[in-house]
Amino acid sequence: MHEFSLAQGLFTQLFRLAEQHRAEKIIIVRVEIGQFAGIVIDSFSFAFEILARERKLTREAVLEITEIKPLCGCLDCGHTVPADDSVPAVCAQCGSSRLTLSAADDLILTQVEME
Amino acid sequence: MCESCGCGIDHERQTTRTIDVYESLLAANTKQAGENRRSFETLGAVAVNMISGPGAGKTTLLEHTIEHLGNELRLGVIEGDIETERDAARIRKKGAPVVQITTGGACHLDARLVHKGLHRLRHESGMDRFDLIFIENVGNLVCPATFDLGEHQRVVLVSVPEGSDKPAKYPKAFLSSQRFLITKTDLLPHFDFSIDEARREALKLNPAIRITELSATAGGQGFEDWLLYLRQLLRTAAAA
Repeated sequence: MHEFSLAQGLFTQLFRLAEQHRAEKIIIVRVEIGQFAGIVIDSFSFAFEILARERKLTREAVLEITEIKPLCGCLDCGHTVPADDSVPAVCAQCGSSRLTLSAADDLILTQVEME
Repeated sequence: MCESCGCGIDHERQTTRTIDVYESLLAANTKQAGENRRSFETLGAVAVNMISGPGAGKTTLLEHTIEHLGNELRLGVIEGDIETERDAARIRKKGAPVVQITTGGACHLDARLVHKGLHRLRHESGMDRFDLIFIENVGNLVCPATFDLGEHQRVVLVSVPEGSDKPAKYPKAFLSSQRFLITKTDLLPHFDFSIDEARREALKLNPAIRITELSATAGGQGFEDWLLYLRQLLRTAAAA
């Protein structure tokens, strides 16, 4: 439900960037969303579409989202692997079951294409 | 002036440009959260952010906590709700300074709202020293987990009637918390709640999380452990 306010934050940022670079049109907006950022990608995209229509500057803007997977790290030996759809039960290197998930909890505006 | 063809048009302004940004959209909240943390510390307070779904017993636990620690410690409460002052009224009745933040629809507290709440708490209570400040987040196990409020400890609650599958279903809240309270344990005989499942799933996500089973209304060992945890937080903060 907070996706809308986060998308508003994104547009504030986009307007600032467009002004700074004297752009008339924003074409592509690239963001990274961590799987544990607590952000529903569909809701965020929907909010983006609604907000994009409000101004000429962003009316044709396309949102490209890269989902960032968390890393699964072993608390005992430090071995780290990407956690895809499931978290391994034990560390592949030392067999410890003390594993923790890290990172992938941010929403980052990485790149904007404009003209 | 275009240098390549001399046409007099500034192509630079017309062609597509790719701008690398790499800025966190959560950064504004994180920055404010850091300022809040310093504000809490200036007041001498440890701040605890309480997160749970609606009805897990956050307010009831705080009422009983104030009854037990209110004479011993300087407590303050920042209440977050979508609407109404009801929770604040319940806390006020127990004698602790409290401010209610109504988010007017937003599903979580953010650092800016808490900053304003803290200002009001100081102003309205007239106190400039606190030992413990509780932030009772909006009843929601999803969105609040994304927003750092500047707390020192994050506590997630799941009550027995909600079911023991909550850690697996709402991982973020458990990943980001230091303490997990299983509440309303006096209702265990009436519900199909597996303490073992709740513990196992929470520890799988976050091996460092500490778990306490308690009933705020029935009291007993679990509730005493909660009070002990709070007292220890203050000792750790004082030693730091």
